[in-house]
Amino acid sequence: MPIYLYIDRGTLVHRLNPTVKVFALFIMFWSVYWVDHPLALLPLGLLLVALAQWTGSWPNFYRLRWLFILLIFFTTLAWMVFYRKGPALINIPFLHLSRAALVFGFGRGLKLAELLATSVLFLSTTKVEEFTAGLQRIGVPYRVGFAITLSFRLVPLFIDSALTVVQAQSLRGYDFNRGGPLERVKRYVPVVIPVFMGALRKANNMAMALEARGFGISATPTSYIDYPMLPRDRIAFAALIGLGTIYFLIYWFGYGAISVK
Amino acid sequence: MKLRDSNEITTAASAAAIEDVSFKYAGGDREALREVSFELRPGEMVGIMGASGAGKSTLAKCLNRIVPRFEDGEFRGVVRIGGRILDGDRVCDVASMVGMVFQDFEAQLFSTNVTHEVAFAMEQVGLPRAEIAARIRPALADVGLAGFDDRDPTSLSGGEKQRLAIASVLALRPGVVVLDEPTSDLDPEGKTEVFALIRRMRDQGLSLIVIEHEAEELRSCDRIVLLREGGIVAHGPPGEVMTRLDLLEECGVHPPDMNRVIDLLGIEGHAASVDEAETMVRARFPRLPAMLDGPGAIARNSSSGPPAAAQPEPPLLRVEDLNFAYPFGPRVLDDVSIEIAAAEFLAIVGQNGSGKTTLAKQIVGLLAPTGGTITIAGRDRKNLSPAETAHEVGYVFQNPDHQIFAATVADEVAFGPRNFGLDSAEIASRAEEVLCAVNLAGDRDRDPFLLSKGERQRLAVASVLALRPRILILDEPTTGLDYREQRRMMALVGDLNRAGIAIVMITHTPWLVAEYARRVILMRKGRVMFDGGVREFFERDELLANSSFHPPEATKLGRRFGVTALRPEELAEWINLNHGRFHNR
Repeated sequence: MPIYLYIDRGTLVHRLNPTVKVFALFIMFWSVYWVDHPLALLPLGLLLVALAQWTGSWPNFYRLRWLFILLIFFTTLAWMVFYRKGPALINIPFLHLSRAALVFGFGRGLKLAELLATSVLFLSTTKVEEFTAGLQRIGVPYRVGFAITLSFRLVPLFIDSALTVVQAQSLRGYDFNRGGPLERVKRYVPVVIPVFMGALRKANNMAMALEARGFGISATPTSYIDYPMLPRDRIAFAALIGLGTIYFLIYWFGYGAISVK
Repeated sequence: MKLRDSNEITTAASAAAIEDVSFKYAGGDREALREVSFELRPGEMVGIMGASGAGKSTLAKCLNRIVPRFEDGEFRGVVRIGGRILDGDRVCDVASMVGMVFQDFEAQLFSTNVTHEVAFAMEQVGLPRAEIAARIRPALADVGLAGFDDRDPTSLSGGEKQRLAIASVLALRPGVVVLDEPTSDLDPEGKTEVFALIRRMRDQGLSLIVIEHEAEELRSCDRIVLLREGGIVAHGPPGEVMTRLDLLEECGVHPPDMNRVIDLLGIEGHAASVDEAETMVRARFPRLPAMLDGPGAIARNSSSGPPAAAQPEPPLLRVEDLNFAYPFGPRVLDDVSIEIAAAEFLAIVGQNGSGKTTLAKQIVGLLAPTGGTITIAGRDRKNLSPAETAHEVGYVFQNPDHQIFAATVADEVAFGPRNFGLDSAEIASRAEEVLCAVNLAGDRDRDPFLLSKGERQRLAVASVLALRPRILILDEPTTGLDYREQRRMMALVGDLNRAGIAIVMITHTPWLVAEYARRVILMRKGRVMFDGGVREFFERDELLANSSFHPPEATKLGRRFGVTALRPEELAEWINLNHGRFHNR
């Protein structure tokens, strides 16, 4: 399975300045934050669908399809427990199935799904190195940006290692699914210890290799790739500011909220 | 671009030198290096050999300040690079002077594409963008990775990853390059690729230090340094050091097979290649035949080979028409059919990705086949519970650290039997039995994490043995072990086999196959390409060449005389016996 989500398609979105893409990430999160109603979230959803089509990112959405479905379904369900407004349509124990709860829950689910979709789209069109460069441009120190790059490399290594450990212990007759929830958590000790020890060793090797390649000699290393701010980046920047402003105004004038009748 | 421009070779008398260097790791009970002095001349390639813990890596790390800046401890002595004394420098400060390539290739690649990886070190030291761009392509071309620019490093093979790591070091154009066991984790093809590159680097005038367990790989060095317990015990040209066979063994280094043969035949000297060894042997024994399966060929069931199984037994394990593919992926196993009888000793060889480990995982039930059947002791594996499978087949993973977690050695071994619900008396008795078998009985109360790699590997075997399987699958059981530990491990495996356990050993190491196995399966692209006796396997020169599997050097040398010998002693014995016969005809 490929480790990274990046899909090299070379579309205009792929070629945008990384700073603009990091800004786009922020603006999408900002816009989603201000509104709750599914109808207000719909245009953002449609925008994301169009961008997924344009950038050829569907394979990543397909990979994560169950996450999207479960996110929307369970968020909707969860808010039926906590959101008690509006008349109940049907009486079900523990759940408050009202139109308002459905709309609110679905809106929350959609919100989370849009945040996830934005992230998927961002990673589908942005190399990790560009992400780091983009962060650096907005003032994040190089080392912090590099740590983010590194984490993208490390997480799959650790997952791989954990899967091997689970296999090794299960062949020794270990049953991870015995007992109640607390017992089950405890039962992962024979996995956590080897993975943790392996991670420490790997981190030590990596730190050595990094210093041996000159990491740390300068707080602001040169960047092999230049990311100039082109006219298309300025246009995208302006459009994003426009989008962020519109969504703030929707909130300001009270259109994005859910009113309970 | 050459790997190094001739006019860049340092004008100092030595490319690197260490003088009276001693180092004791913080918390260590003895000095890892003891007053070691050593010089690397410009354009020279020096090989450093020794057992695990002899101080090889510590010596290498002194050259780029990992010792003492990164590794805590007491350091004494002087290190010079190109005439400049390193004092107070950080590791990163000397990155442009000394390039270092490590064994763990996963831990030295940081980027998401090949170009960025090569650029990384140059970015760190602040080279201008134009200069970085100008150096990337030539560096990739030098290591044979031209055209790989946009590839994701994680998608490369082990050999390619290691060559990429070398490219990123070379791009900085350091005066000295240190390679610390660069091929330990690679398959034969990867090893061949990396050593071919090292020879090219040397031909182009780079000053190189290469650390290796296997003496054979270091024969082309200008000088060899042999370390034992932190001190230099021998130092000189390969012809001088590699003919001291007893000393090499004492130091835990595998003596070159060809020198062993020459020594056993009473010939003095050092053979730098199979050609040279053949010339030397023919000079002494002029009537030896050429490539032919002559009257003196060692019989396939010769008693001098590994002992054969006493009686053919009905198969314990039968794999029929096994197919497997990961979802949406290509076939990893393609119509594999094999049988394994009780007390067999089978080696499975093949390149990484040929399906060896996947086959093993199918047998133990970690993966389910997409087609075909696996029968263990007459029962379909699908119908066996995990406990029943574990009592028939045990699987020892390549890396013992993937399973060790307990606080003591005894607890680690007891883990399996406890999971299967055995009573405490039975658990204690089994733990005792298997710890004796793997020679760890005296370590039962020790913390497993404080054991050496070889001991941890034996502990992993013990903890699988505690379930008393009839078949034991060992996935590359000697990776990362030095020669002495490898011998100890294989002696244990041999004992288990003699006790009646069928051994299935996945390995890349030719001499292990030749000396210990009785049957070989060669896999390529998920298919079984060969299944037969060891001697028969090493007679198939063309098959071996096409599979990048190199026979041990004694076997290669024997083939020049038309005989398939599996060990140096066997070849020497055959030459001694048969020379007279040819002579008397």
